[in-house]
Parts: sequence; C-alpha cells; structure tokens
Amino acid sequence: MENLHSPSDQLIRKLQWIWMIGFILLVLGIITWFIHLMRAALWLGDVPSAAIGIPLVAIPIFLALASVVFYVFWGLAVRGRGQ
Amino acid sequence: MVDHKDTHEDILLAPIAHTGLGFYWTVAGLSVFILWGAIAYSVQFYYGLGVTGLQQPVSWGFYVTNFVFFIGISHAGTLISAILRLSRAEWRRPITRMAEVITAMVLFIGAGQILVDLGRPDRIFNVIRHGRYQSPLLWDATSISAYLSASLTYLYLPMIPDIAILRDRLGKWKLFYSVLALGWTGTQAQQRVLNRAIAIMCVIVIPVAISVHSVVSFVFSMTLQPMWHSTIFGPYFVVGAIFSGIAALIVAMIIFRKAYGLEPYLKPIHFRYLGQLLLVMALLWFYFTFAEYLTGYYGAEPEEMKVFWSKFSGPFWPYFWAMVLCNLFIPLSCLVRLGRHTVGKVLAASLSIIVGMWLERFIIVIPTLSNPRLPFPQTAYAPTWVELGEFAGSLALFALFYLLFTKVFPIISIWEIREGREEGVKEVEERIKSYLPDEVKGTA
Repeated sequence: MENLHSPSDQLIRKLQWIWMIGFILLVLGIITWFIHLMRAALWLGDVPSAAIGIPLVAIPIFLALASVVFYVFWGLAVRGRGQ
Repeated sequence: MVDHKDTHEDILLAPIAHTGLGFYWTVAGLSVFILWGAIAYSVQFYYGLGVTGLQQPVSWGFYVTNFVFFIGISHAGTLISAILRLSRAEWRRPITRMAEVITAMVLFIGAGQILVDLGRPDRIFNVIRHGRYQSPLLWDATSISAYLSASLTYLYLPMIPDIAILRDRLGKWKLFYSVLALGWTGTQAQQRVLNRAIAIMCVIVIPVAISVHSVVSFVFSMTLQPMWHSTIFGPYFVVGAIFSGIAALIVAMIIFRKAYGLEPYLKPIHFRYLGQLLLVMALLWFYFTFAEYLTGYYGAEPEEMKVFWSKFSGPFWPYFWAMVLCNLFIPLSCLVRLGRHTVGKVLAASLSIIVGMWLERFIIVIPTLSNPRLPFPQTAYAPTWVELGEFAGSLALFALFYLLFTKVFPIISIWEIREGREEGVKEVEERIKSYLPDEVKGTA
C-alpha cells in the first residue's frame, strides 16, 4: 500500500491530476473546434443542417468519453485511494 | 489485494522484464523500412507531389488507398473486443488486448496517410481553421478523431489492473506505472467502477467504429463519380473493414504467439473461432461485392460501364481478379475445413485477405479516376518509389509501435485471464443451466 505522505506518492498524485486535466482540456479543445466550425458554417449560411447536426452527435460522444475517464479517475485514484 | 504469484503469468511479463536479441534485430529491420519511408517523404516534401505517380485526373492514388486500408484494419480491434465483451464470449480473454492495440496504433498510421497526401502538411490547419461541414472530408476528420479518442480510452481502461501488477512486480519504470495505475489495489469498489466504465465504453465504441468507416465510404459515395456513387458503400466498407481487421488481428496473434511463447494462451481453439468469423465475413464481403457490381452492370449506365469493364477485363483486370482470388477463393479453401493445421490455414487465409482487401481499396479508388468524364485522356496510374517507400515505412512504423507497446505493457490481459479462471468458469456453468429446461422431479 502506498504511503500517502511519501514524496513519491505526492508526485504520483500530482502527475495523475496533470494528465487528467490535460485530457479534459484536450476534449474541451476538440469541442471548441466543433463549435467554431458550427459558428463559421452558420455565419456563412453553409449547410446549417450538417453544421449543427454533426457536432450535435460528436460533442456528446466526447463529453461521454471525458465523463467515463473522469469517473474512473475519481473512483480509483481519489475515492479508491481513501478507502 | 493486487495479485498473487502465478508462474503462468511470468510468460506474459517476460517480454517487458527481459529484452532478447530478437527484439533488436526486429527493430533494426523495421528501421530500414522506416528510413526508406522517411527519405521518400522528405524527397516529396522538398520537390512536391510531382515525385509521386499522382497526376490529373488520378489525384487520389496510393495514399488514399492506404488511408482507407489502415482505417479499415482498425475496426477489428474495437469491434472484436467490444462485441465479444458484450456477448460475454469467454474465449475473447487472451485476444482483446491485442485487438485493442491494433486499433489504437493503426489509426495514427491511417490518419498520417492524409497528412502525406496533402503534400504541404501545414494545410491540415485549414481543416481546423476553415473546415466546412458541407464536405465529407470534414465528417471524416470528426469521426476519426472521435474514434481515436474512444479507442485509446477503451484500450487504457482495461489495462489499469495490469499496470498495477507491473507497478508492484516489475521493479522498473515504477513512477510511470504508478501514475497510470490510478492507485489500483483491486478492491471490490474499484472493480465495480472499472467494470461499469468498461461496459459503458463497449457500448459507446461500437457505433463510433461503425460510423467511422461509413463516413470514410461517404467520401466516395457522396460524389457523383461512376462506381463510387452507391448507396451500399457504407455497409460495404464496414464489412470490408471488419474482414481485413480480423485478418490483421490473426496475423498479429500468430507472430507474437511464436515470438513470446504464448501457446498456452493463444490456443488452436481461438484461431478456429476467429477462422469461422473470417469465413462468415468472406461470404458477407462477397455478397456485398456481388450486389455492388450486379447493380452497376444491370443499370448499364455508359460511364459506369466504362469503369466496370476496365476492372473486369480492362487495364485493372489483374488487380480485380487477384482481389476476388485473395478475398474469396483462397480464404474459402483454407477455412471451410479447419480440422487439422488450424493455425497454418488461418494464417494463410489472413495473409491472403490482407492483400485482397488492399487490392479492393485500390480497385475502388483508381479505376474510377482513371476513366474521367471530363476531356482528359484515360490515364494509367503507377506509384513511384516515393509512394512505395511511404507505404513500406507506414507498415513498418505500425509494426514498430505495436512491438514497443508489447515491451511496455502485457499484450495479453493478465487480470482478465485470472478472472476467467476464478469466475468465468462458474459464470458459464450458471448461464448454461439457465438455458436448459428445469429438471422435472420424479414422483415416488
């Protein structure tokens, strides 16, 4: 069992949070890209049906992925460690 | 607690704990091809796409063929792993990790083909800055990025317990494994969280995988090009992708079974079941191909028939009939009776299918473009050493990525094998009992 107060364990926890936040930022970046494309298409009047429809499907997929990864991270690394 | 010593598992940890001479020779051999690919690409980068065989009207050639081929191979990984997990097929346990790794690695290679095809790679930023959803190419970019993210997540989550085993037993890269293990100790609460997450990912990844190759097909079918503009292209591409993916998985299994001594885990029964799946997919592929060409032939549109005959008896006939031989006749002859020499027959069929499915992509892309309806002359496309080098380098890079993965993580899921031994047997017994009618108690 890891020592909660050992320097290596603190480093491990910091790195875990860094990669978790990095993954969330990546997903948010991709969603931002979809929204940018959607706005550009609406502004240009460029196939609004596809411009709205495709991000409407894609964005929930990325949100679901981010949620699943965060759920596992929280369940294992945060709550699971405390137990 | 995390684990108990099991000498069987030493086989699975051995490639990570020790590195033999074979690894270095393999890396050296792959590096030669990667170097060829790198030189080819740098020549193309310096002189432009003119060093390839691409020209008007054949502006899509080897690179787009390879893109479709590699994205197709990625399907087996996720689909085999996800579908077999959802259907609780116990024989999946030693296979799922290999399949998931194929998906994750080959997607990078497939997407890289587009970067190479662009000529100027900085133009990829135009997709980010000025992409238009009117274009199926942007649908492609969207679906592939979703699939890549989902596949990497689906690869990582089931690896967590094995990463914890490496953290505790291996003695090297402890920080790396500790970070990725997320504090796994194997408690019931953690197991519940992980099982739930894996089940959710199985459900998410299947429609995403199907959508990817459907959207790749839309890049062709949404045009008005003869023999591209077909309503059947979506399912045809998906079936072809699963077909080639299973074949690639079998080849990878056989190579690593031999290289790492995994015979106790990858038994002939696994190859038999995969061979049966391959046989079904061969027949399904043939059905879709037959329907596709029969429809075009019966409609007899002049422009379609030009492309049709160029494939059947024209300049592309060797590739077309080689495709039929490799995708139908050879697999059928190998897979119909798997009584003896199972592994050998399945390997022969798989290698044939990999070649055949590459030819299928080639036969879809090139003949249509070679028969233009604009006033260009009919053109013969021939790849140059640059394109061949890029293809060889891509294949070698995929193989290298896969090999390096096996040196860092176990290629067979240790915890799932344990779970199979400890709980799977009982679960299957319960399941079979539930299928059978209840016993009737006799009267005294």
